[in-house]
Amino acid sequence: MEFEPVIGVEIHVELKTKSKMFSSAPCSFGMEPNSETVPFDLAFPGTLPVVNKEAVNYGIKICTALNMTIDRTLYFDRKNYFYPDLPKGYQITQQFRPIGKNGFVVVTVDGKEKKIGVEQAHLEEDTAKQIHLNDISLVNFNRCGTPLLEIVSLPDMRSGEEAMKYVEAIREIVTYLGVSDGKMENGSMRCDINISLRPKGETRLGTKCECKNLNTIQNIRAAVDYEIERQSAILLSGGQVDQETRRYDENAKKTVLMRRKTDAIDYKYFREPNIVPIDLDEGFIYDCIHSMNKLPAQYRKELSGRGLDAYQIEELLKDREFVLYFEDCLDLGVKNPTTLWNLLMVEILGYLNKNGLSLKDIRPTKEQVVSLSDLLSTGAINSRQGKDVLSEMLTGGKDPLTIVKEKGMEQISDSASVEKVVEEVLAQNQQSVSDWQKGKDRALGYLVGQAMKKSQGKVNPALAKEKILAKIGPCGSKK
Amino acid sequence: MTKWMNKPISELHDALVRKIVTPSELLEDCIQGIQEDKCNCFEATAFDEARKTAQSIKEVGPEDYLRGIPFLAKDNFSTKGIETTASSDILNGYVPLYDATVIAKLKRAGMILVAKTTMDELAMGGTGTTGHKGVTTNPYEHERIVGGSSCGSAAAIAQGIAPLALGSDTGDSVRKPASLSATVGFKCTWGRISRYGLFPFATSMDAVGFFTRNVLDSSHVLSVLSGHDRMDMSSSYRKKEKYESYVEKRKTLHRIGYFKAVMDGISDPVIRKSYVELLEKLKKRGYEVVEYDYPEKLLDALYPTYMILSCAESTSNNANLDGIRFGPKAEGESETYSDYMRKARTKGFSDLIKRRFVIGSFSLLSANQEEMFNRAQKARRLIVNEMNRFFDAVDYLLVPASYSKPKRIDSLSTAWSTKPDFLDNILTLGNFGGYPSLTLPLDFEDTLPFGVNITGRIFEDGYVMGLGKEIEDLTGLKDIVFKEGK
Repeated sequence: MEFEPVIGVEIHVELKTKSKMFSSAPCSFGMEPNSETVPFDLAFPGTLPVVNKEAVNYGIKICTALNMTIDRTLYFDRKNYFYPDLPKGYQITQQFRPIGKNGFVVVTVDGKEKKIGVEQAHLEEDTAKQIHLNDISLVNFNRCGTPLLEIVSLPDMRSGEEAMKYVEAIREIVTYLGVSDGKMENGSMRCDINISLRPKGETRLGTKCECKNLNTIQNIRAAVDYEIERQSAILLSGGQVDQETRRYDENAKKTVLMRRKTDAIDYKYFREPNIVPIDLDEGFIYDCIHSMNKLPAQYRKELSGRGLDAYQIEELLKDREFVLYFEDCLDLGVKNPTTLWNLLMVEILGYLNKNGLSLKDIRPTKEQVVSLSDLLSTGAINSRQGKDVLSEMLTGGKDPLTIVKEKGMEQISDSASVEKVVEEVLAQNQQSVSDWQKGKDRALGYLVGQAMKKSQGKVNPALAKEKILAKIGPCGSKK
Repeated sequence: MTKWMNKPISELHDALVRKIVTPSELLEDCIQGIQEDKCNCFEATAFDEARKTAQSIKEVGPEDYLRGIPFLAKDNFSTKGIETTASSDILNGYVPLYDATVIAKLKRAGMILVAKTTMDELAMGGTGTTGHKGVTTNPYEHERIVGGSSCGSAAAIAQGIAPLALGSDTGDSVRKPASLSATVGFKCTWGRISRYGLFPFATSMDAVGFFTRNVLDSSHVLSVLSGHDRMDMSSSYRKKEKYESYVEKRKTLHRIGYFKAVMDGISDPVIRKSYVELLEKLKKRGYEVVEYDYPEKLLDALYPTYMILSCAESTSNNANLDGIRFGPKAEGESETYSDYMRKARTKGFSDLIKRRFVIGSFSLLSANQEEMFNRAQKARRLIVNEMNRFFDAVDYLLVPASYSKPKRIDSLSTAWSTKPDFLDNILTLGNFGGYPSLTLPLDFEDTLPFGVNITGRIFEDGYVMGLGKEIEDLTGLKDIVFKEGK
């Protein structure tokens, strides 16, 4: 029997706001435990939640990027349960009226585009962090109250690859919007995946398992693939899949049982009475939407219009800093985007990696980088010279035109001067000329090389080659 | 017997401005009153801090109406550095790190916090007998209750220990004890005064309230406490008013309503007579007095609706009391976190509280929510809709604030009434709709006081005060302090 996997993903995105979801305590990481708290974060009696406007703004931005409908009124609800990391004994969330509904994301899988539905997105607060030692458990409330947006997909995915691509797309969107670090490895983006199998052609859903602890994008694919195999083995042997919460064990490369769903908690949801429904001002929503950063999809469209290929675009999109840099250079009127791409993504990136630096640390201005790119793309200097110039720019901070002038690197590109050099070279290398005419094609390169040597590397090699060919005719003409 | 503290704020202010008395002398008078308290009104005291504050006040100007005057606060207001337990063992030893907004505002106005008053445990109760400090009695007859949950505040004001005590009102917790103690008890419109720092009971109905001994004092306090607070999103942005001007100029609206079912239901002839006479006097003063036929079915729904909603909200609101971050730690070894919490909560809460939590939790379970919690919310909506219809035609609802003498303590039962009398719960109307509501003395039955209650439209707190002043003048019952042997 063939099975069809049905996969849905829930993603918790930690929003990078200055203060917490419902309190004025700062959101920051790595501070002294329990230092970043105000009385509300520890649920001291009498404290009240105050909705963070910035978190709402970020929520609206993400929902807009995910093509969702924004609820014009904000409601919050209580999810009641007892746990040491939950000081109030309830979490404030949006159970009944999420801020965003009915959206979608487009991902590319095996070269084909697929639309994955996003059912809803809701704002809520994070819990505290627990540390379990041998005989004691400690709670750090610094994280408690950090704003989260939980994004719930429709069960539209059918493979580990699709699930991975979906999460990747969301990660890209939130990081491009600048509203989250989107780092799965440090928990600023957390995924739970629901997976069930059903016989091909069946429309009813099978029993699902929830999979947690997926702390890299690659683990998503691995966990889903593992689950598909595990569940089909059970079904093929005539068994039944139990509804379970499972955890992905990275070392064993498999999912392991955490708890069965039969002990599910009744969360006794009800409307949060301390927050009266907030009517979102149209002006506020407009401002949120119109202050959104450009999204990856838009960059893909724009950059392919400027002649970059898919590989080049994806490489660039891996880091928003580079895209912004690239975009600025385009705006400065760089003549050849592909030359610029090579300069930025090969030469400069190589230098950064080697020295452990980031783009904002380098000395040349964007104007200087554009000017170097133009020197290269117009043939004013050759690529070997380009490397030398760049290296001087990076270390000395000088303008490329100045460097070129100082080093006398300007290429000889006027026809008469090149002609003169070529004539001298041909006169001195009659043997090579006749080799060429007898059919030895390597002789051409030698002749061009001689022209370069004679001019101390200044002659424009393309032009020199053209002139030589005009004089010696096609290869093997006197065979 | 206090020399100063039995006087209203207006007189104390005058004496301070004219330097007839100093804040320190007022404070010592208040401290003496606390030490001579006969009703079991107090939880914690803050004499040292109060003395320091009093000494620091050198000058009281004519504009500093409240400066230099002592006040008390119910033990469910967060007070920085002063143990605050809400009269529950679960909070024993809890010393808050911050002041409630109302405490901060009164301090900023120059008032001096002297002590915290007893209450029914966690404000859940109406008798003043369920706090961990035991029974708070009625100064007029110690065998009787003063009512709750703000029992200590009511009994202290009635004894003349201070001119102002803060209370909180979720069902009638300020307005009922005010009735039984011949004090003026006010509950503001929901959202008029910040709740930040008030320990929550049932958020959607909780309101800050206070006890004074006349309406003018009450209006001055409201002027200081009202206004938006960025720490409480539900506090209103509506402009603050000078509420004392309603009292001074006796600004009132015209139409006063009473419910037919209430009038028919009053069985105590003394209370009935005083109530009817008051309505007559108001008519003579030129007010239009209107009978309104508020459906009895909805009045009967007050008690179950209130119980379900308040218990449900309270079980969630008090889920933070788990012994982990504050309050007494669980005793002995605990295997799991739930074990630990269960131990702390089992020991910390009285059985009466646990019963409320069980009922609240039960009504919120997904299997019961539709039938219990959601239905109670629908009932609340119907009750409020009908009240709003009433207010479309009439400006005030006037009802007796209590319908019998205060209960004898030895007659109390903790069993839940299966056939509750709606008259005992009539004041919850004010909480369901968030209306401003004021109780002031109406008369005495033998030596025991009872009050009358005015409820107005939301944010018409000023007009409620205005009518309060009118009635105060009609009854002549003002600045009443219990005197031994009277």
